[in-house]
Amino acid sequence: MTLLRAESLTKRFVSRGPLGARAEFTAVDQVSFEVQLGETLAVVGESGSGKSTTARMIAKLMDPTAGTLEFDGEDVTHAKGAALARFRANVQVVFQDPFSSLNPRHTVERILMAPLVYQGIAPKGSRREHAKELMERVGLNPDHSLRYPAQFSGGQAQRIGIARALAVNPKLVICDEAVSALDVSVQAQVIELLRRLQRESGFSYVFIAHDLAVVRQIAHRVAVMSKGRIVEIGPARQVFDDPQDEYTRTLLAAIPRIDPEWDRRRRERS
Amino acid sequence: MTRYVIGRLAGVVVILFLVCLFTFVLFFTLQPDPAVMICGKTCTPERIDQIRDVLGLNQPFLTQFFGFLGGIFAGRDYGEGANLVHCAAPCLGYSFQTNQSVMDMVVERLPVSATVAIGAAVLWLIVGIAAGLLSAVKEGTWWDRTAMGLALGGSSIPNYVLALALQYVLVVQLQVLPFPQAVAFSDDPVVWFQSYLMPWIVLATGYACLYARLTRANVIDTLAENFMRTARSKGLSPALTMRRHALRPALTPIATIFGMDFAALLGGALITETVFGLNGVGKMAADSIAKNDQPVIMAVTLLAAFFVVVGNLVVDLVYTRLDPRVRITTP
Amino acid sequence: MSELLVVQDLTVTFPTTRGPVDVVRGVSFAVGRDETVGIVGESGSGKSMTSLAIMGLLPKGATTRGSIRLNGTELLGRPDRELRRLRGDQMSMIFQDPLSSLNPYYTVGLQIEEMYRAHRGGTRKAAREVAIRALGHVGLPEPERRVDYYPHQFSGGQRQRVMIAMALVCEPALLIADEPTTALDVTVQAQILRLLAGLQRESGTGLVFITHDLAVISSIATRVLVMRRGEQVEYGTAEQIFAEPEHEYTRMLLESIPRIDDSLDDPPHGSLIGSPDDEVIL
Ligand SMILES: Nc1ncnc2c1ncn2[C@@H]1O[C@H](COP(=O)(O)OP(=O)(O)OP(=O)(O)O)[C@@H](O)[C@H]1O
Ligand SMILES: Nc1ncnc2c1ncn2[C@@H]1O[C@H](COP(=O)(O)OP(=O)(O)OP(=O)(O)O)[C@@H](O)[C@H]1O
Ligand SMILES: [Mg+2]
Ligand SMILES: [Mg+2]
Repeated sequence: MTLLRAESLTKRFVSRGPLGARAEFTAVDQVSFEVQLGETLAVVGESGSGKSTTARMIAKLMDPTAGTLEFDGEDVTHAKGAALARFRANVQVVFQDPFSSLNPRHTVERILMAPLVYQGIAPKGSRREHAKELMERVGLNPDHSLRYPAQFSGGQAQRIGIARALAVNPKLVICDEAVSALDVSVQAQVIELLRRLQRESGFSYVFIAHDLAVVRQIAHRVAVMSKGRIVEIGPARQVFDDPQDEYTRTLLAAIPRIDPEWDRRRRERS
Repeated sequence: MTRYVIGRLAGVVVILFLVCLFTFVLFFTLQPDPAVMICGKTCTPERIDQIRDVLGLNQPFLTQFFGFLGGIFAGRDYGEGANLVHCAAPCLGYSFQTNQSVMDMVVERLPVSATVAIGAAVLWLIVGIAAGLLSAVKEGTWWDRTAMGLALGGSSIPNYVLALALQYVLVVQLQVLPFPQAVAFSDDPVVWFQSYLMPWIVLATGYACLYARLTRANVIDTLAENFMRTARSKGLSPALTMRRHALRPALTPIATIFGMDFAALLGGALITETVFGLNGVGKMAADSIAKNDQPVIMAVTLLAAFFVVVGNLVVDLVYTRLDPRVRITTP
Repeated sequence: MSELLVVQDLTVTFPTTRGPVDVVRGVSFAVGRDETVGIVGESGSGKSMTSLAIMGLLPKGATTRGSIRLNGTELLGRPDRELRRLRGDQMSMIFQDPLSSLNPYYTVGLQIEEMYRAHRGGTRKAAREVAIRALGHVGLPEPERRVDYYPHQFSGGQRQRVMIAMALVCEPALLIADEPTTALDVTVQAQILRLLAGLQRESGTGLVFITHDLAVISSIATRVLVMRRGEQVEYGTAEQIFAEPEHEYTRMLLESIPRIDDSLDDPPHGSLIGSPDDEVIL
């Protein structure tokens, strides 16, 4: 089932030079794709190619200059009021920097309860319990529910962001570089968490990342962007093993690898 | 951008209209009959009826309301025949008390309120921001604690207490200042300045305390930002680091608050003007409320609303200049 | 190889409510001219604090012990006025968090120019030319126009490249790069690594490169320092660390690297270091 359909999404930015000269810049150029229920679509590509802008448009945090957005069979391009509220309950975003998207002056419990209040999900008395349950689901110790974000490490803070996204039982979670700032081991934990949650609850991800090894671990399908356009989109295996586009091939070739000779020697020793 | 400004201006008109309507309804339903008030003690029912007729109080609500609005934009006539008085636009009617044109009263008193507001604003900006800045830089020192303690205390002193205390000390005891007089700047600059000094100080004290605390908090927050570390890593002089990188982000939100505070003050400083006997819009408001002088109350309410709404618009427009992030960048 | 930077027995201490905490404990390493030293280690192991200590930019309250010598002169204990002349000119740093490290109120051009002019002087116009060239070097499209953009008009990776351009503008003798490519795709990352290598060749810059991407470290570093919980776990040549790691922790780190040949169907891998409930040191 198609959950989200983006049709020719376009975003143009206008900027003014020092002399007031108007310059237009097309950051996203007629991008079309679909996300199926329960699937992970990874978006990779060149820095500045419009990945975050696309993410912001499909999360309706920014209006597209042109194009349409359909969610669950409903045109939400210009959704307002109740329709927009419904959309927001179904689509959540996790950003790169966990700390700047969490209010430093609120406890984790309060952060996790806020979306429950907005969406009127859990009854008043059980919200606290619900927040603790969420913490458990993402592998945080529920006893720490009264701590502030600064008292957690980067990886833990990112889990709080994920827990908040999950609080409203969304159908789609958009992760914009959600694991980029984490170190390898924490990254692995968070990815495993995302995969487990998908298995349990069956929702979809749009997963933006530039670490192709990470993408390979989580994506069912991959879209490759360059200069505002999707240059290639297809099943992960196909894109990685048999890339069609020139840019995709350059990208795959540029992945740094540890000297295989060193690797071999280490493996032999252990 | 032009479209945005036009949209906002339309909003301003709508809000002012609603304020008009609301105030009018309030008077129409709540107040004691002005005709009775004007008539005074020796009064006959016929006389009251006559007054009501001249003032148009016998007419239905909407007729009165649009008569008032019409007066503002086109001017209006009062009475008939030989008693006919034409009041040119913008007409706010005549005071029940003095029969003076309300518009003339406003024009006469607005400069006084503006002088009070501008002088006080200069004073509180200089003192408040300087104190806050110093406190932020010397966070945790005795200076910081003393200044912030004073600021906390200062902002809780009621203006009339401060005004009376100041008058008692400076005028009565030490006799360094004369009692405030209504003197034009061109007549005697020195007396003019001496007369306004106390109102300025009184009005500025509360704001200066508030702004000192705001400035301190904002500067401390800004100093903790990552971009301040970047600035230091460049080897810039501490003065440049502070002036360029810390002050602008820290003071921009204060500029917007200032716009609103200042606009509100232009609508008259009720207590301060009354205590010092300054004939400004604030005193006019106080007098008219005491005497239930409806046209004047309408005028001061509208004037205050006008300044607040326009001030708000100006603040928003200026803010898009001050903070590049809110500049409109979509076609 | 003559050493450019020598760090000896560096300890960084923070006062906390529960008494002083050493976030860096007895770390020693050296960086030669035109050499690259990599620092790796788990999150919170003190990599950033070590680099901030070198720059003299530790947060208020932190104290340092040990010795940090740049070109033979001791940096610890020197007045800020003297360090200021070195910062940006002799040593500069690319900060870990590119999103918040640029001032949102000024164009990136101005933020680069002011650094250049603080050390090299000259007119604004000349500095602007330098800024435009620097932005071009890090692969930003249309640098003549982008120089007048504000930070929020750039993508995450572009902001990171602005930070890199800024750090390089005075061609410092020592460059500390704290996770400088976290927001970059691999092609741009490769371009940046080439740029850094070129700079090393031309002006003999010594580079301290902090990253959690061990593959990057293996391709550019000659020596590697492995840190954990503020301590130095292992320090040696890259070949030694990658081919014959001495320490259990280093081996675990090397095992946990995700590989491009892993896919969705494979079990997640690597032994996880530290559990989610590990106490955070405060
Ligand atoms: N507010 C804005 N004004 C002008 N240009 C903008 C604005 N926001 C983004 N852009 C431009 O749009 C392009 C795409 O930006 P976007 O953030 O979508 O890139 P991205 O693919 O997420 O890149 P990265 O991987 O570096 O995060 C960039 O060239 C950027 O400079
Ligand atoms: N102001 C502070 N007071 C007390 N402890 C602090 C303070 N700032 C940082 N720390 C602690 O210092 C330790 C080292 O932090 P540092 O930023 O150097 O880690 P890192 O190795 O750079 O990690 P990452 O890979 O996540 O960037 C952390 O455990 C952190 O909690
Ligand atoms: Mg992005
Ligand atoms: Mg760090």
